[in-house]
Amino acid sequence: MTPDKSAPAADEPPARAPAVPIRLRPAREADIVALVPLMLRLKRLNEEFDPLLRVRDDAEVQSRQVLRQQLADPKAVVLAAEGTGADVGKVVGFVRAAVRERPFYAPEFEGVILDIYLLPLYRRRGVGEFLLQEVSAALKAKGASIVTAEFPAQNEIAGRFYAKRGFRPVTAIHARSL
Amino acid sequence: MSESTAAPVAPPRAGRRKLRPPTPSVVRRREDATDLLGRRAVELSRFYGGKIETVPKVPVRSLHDFALWYSPGVAEVSRAIHRQADLSFELTGRWNTVAIVTDGSRVLGLGDIGPDAALPVMEGKALLFKFLGGVDAVPIPIRVSSPDRFMSTVEAIAPAFGGINLEDIASPKCFGILEELSKRLDIPVWHDDQLGTAAATVAGLLNALALTGRSVRETRTVLLGAGAANVATARLLISLGHDPHRLSLVDQRGVLHAERDDVDELMVRNPWKYRLALRTDGGGRTGDLAAAVAGADVLVAASTPTPGSVRAEHIRAMARDPVVFALANPDPEIWPDEARAAGAAVVATGRSDFPNQVNNSLVFPAVFRGVLDARARSIPDELVLAAARELARGAERRGVSVHHLLPTMEEPEVFPEIAAAVGDASVRLGIARHRLSHEEFLDRARSLMDRSARLVRALGRAGLISPLPRGPGPWRRSA
Repeated sequence: MTPDKSAPAADEPPARAPAVPIRLRPAREADIVALVPLMLRLKRLNEEFDPLLRVRDDAEVQSRQVLRQQLADPKAVVLAAEGTGADVGKVVGFVRAAVRERPFYAPEFEGVILDIYLLPLYRRRGVGEFLLQEVSAALKAKGASIVTAEFPAQNEIAGRFYAKRGFRPVTAIHARSL
Repeated sequence: MSESTAAPVAPPRAGRRKLRPPTPSVVRRREDATDLLGRRAVELSRFYGGKIETVPKVPVRSLHDFALWYSPGVAEVSRAIHRQADLSFELTGRWNTVAIVTDGSRVLGLGDIGPDAALPVMEGKALLFKFLGGVDAVPIPIRVSSPDRFMSTVEAIAPAFGGINLEDIASPKCFGILEELSKRLDIPVWHDDQLGTAAATVAGLLNALALTGRSVRETRTVLLGAGAANVATARLLISLGHDPHRLSLVDQRGVLHAERDDVDELMVRNPWKYRLALRTDGGGRTGDLAAAVAGADVLVAASTPTPGSVRAEHIRAMARDPVVFALANPDPEIWPDEARAAGAAVVATGRSDFPNQVNNSLVFPAVFRGVLDARARSIPDELVLAAARELARGAERRGVSVHHLLPTMEEPEVFPEIAAAVGDASVRLGIARHRLSHEEFLDRARSLMDRSARLVRALGRAGLISPLPRGPGPWRRSA
């Protein structure tokens, strides 16, 4: 998807009508109520991959809080994907990312994709790819020179998605219980 | 399907055979009979020491003949196959031999009882293969811990076989194993709990839809249970032109749709069910079975046997003249009489003591006869559908009615017809190594099937198969 060159270079990517079956726009405070269930779905999906990713009982409260903080954080990007057709106006997916400083390595700023989630009927239709491009552009606009993605190590579907788009493993997080 | 276009159907009436909803005394009698049958089966298994054995098929006039059948003569046969591997299908019994492979993870309704305990079931299956299909089948329960090891084991033993019959493997791993082995091997791979049951179900449905004046395309169908059989049935129905958005799969958590809470979990753990969740999106429904069956034309229940999981009110909520298949064994999800009383026009079960038994034994021996005779490389869904269509046609010979949806085991003339239909389909699809004509497939199937039956009878007459010893029950006497 080629970005619309005539669109004003805003802090957030402008809403536009892509050839994918969604409309992507920066998330607002009012979206939180629709975003929380999607975020919980993603965390529950992550739970499938490792017992150390067991979703907390208060995850709903937490996700509301995290979203509220990030919507106010100039370093964060939260984009909401609205459906089309029968789903007009319904939030069917989202992407959450943030720019992080790398104190020891160059380049200095990375844009980390923390969450990408799409309702199943919107998968395998190029939406993920579009979300990735748009969030990358938004992160770049905030000063990031590289884009990274965090997801459960056992999530091979995510691994393949990113590998296909030129990502490679850089840092690994290994864990054990204490 | 609008209700008004449904053709009038003969009013429900009790069949010739018992259709009573079971009173406690009937249940007790059935349980007693089942107990008796089980005890007798153990006794006879001990008496005969299993159900199958290997018998030579070449003359042995004297021990000198072994020089032909074995070393040194056989070395040239080996050399020939070494030069051209496909010759193993000509020069050995491979052309007619299948492996019945199981890990024992879901044996009958008994669950994960392991490979040792699965052996008698596999032996029984081998008996059916030989008797009904003229196919030499070797029971091979294997002790493995993972699907990967299961598959590499089957791959490793494939050189001995012309086909692989997967049996009694738990869902969902059975889907991946069938899919992957079909890719890796160039001989037919079949999983009866998926394909055999689905083919018999689809055959019954084709006739039931015709009887009630429906077309597949306009039918609204509910599949209760989303295990091996119904997942395959759903796929076959869709390839027959069933609108996925009029197809609702229902499991313990209700209607399977694209936004159900566990759909991401399914993506990881059961991608086959996940794909159906997306494809059907609940058939436009969400909620429970009651929500799914409202106005539905067809209900196919193939679930974990839970008596009363389908209730009269579910049938009453369906469209006019609904079709109800209650396939759980031994106790169907709803008893035929109850379903009929609630308005079902056609009822089928998995049991032989009611009319309309959906029985995979009508399918697998003939399918394998067909693919073995065609030396097919695989069993794509087109072959399964060819078998289903032929089975449905087979019922026409004695007239399709609400009491005779499908041929019974007493109509063996349907077996060679199914084999030939499968053979024809594999030629048409270009996966047959032996491109025989319809008549050739038919003749071959008839003669090989007939030979098996004659063989068993002849061995009995010669006293080489002992008559059944005395014992209780109706299985007292030798046939």
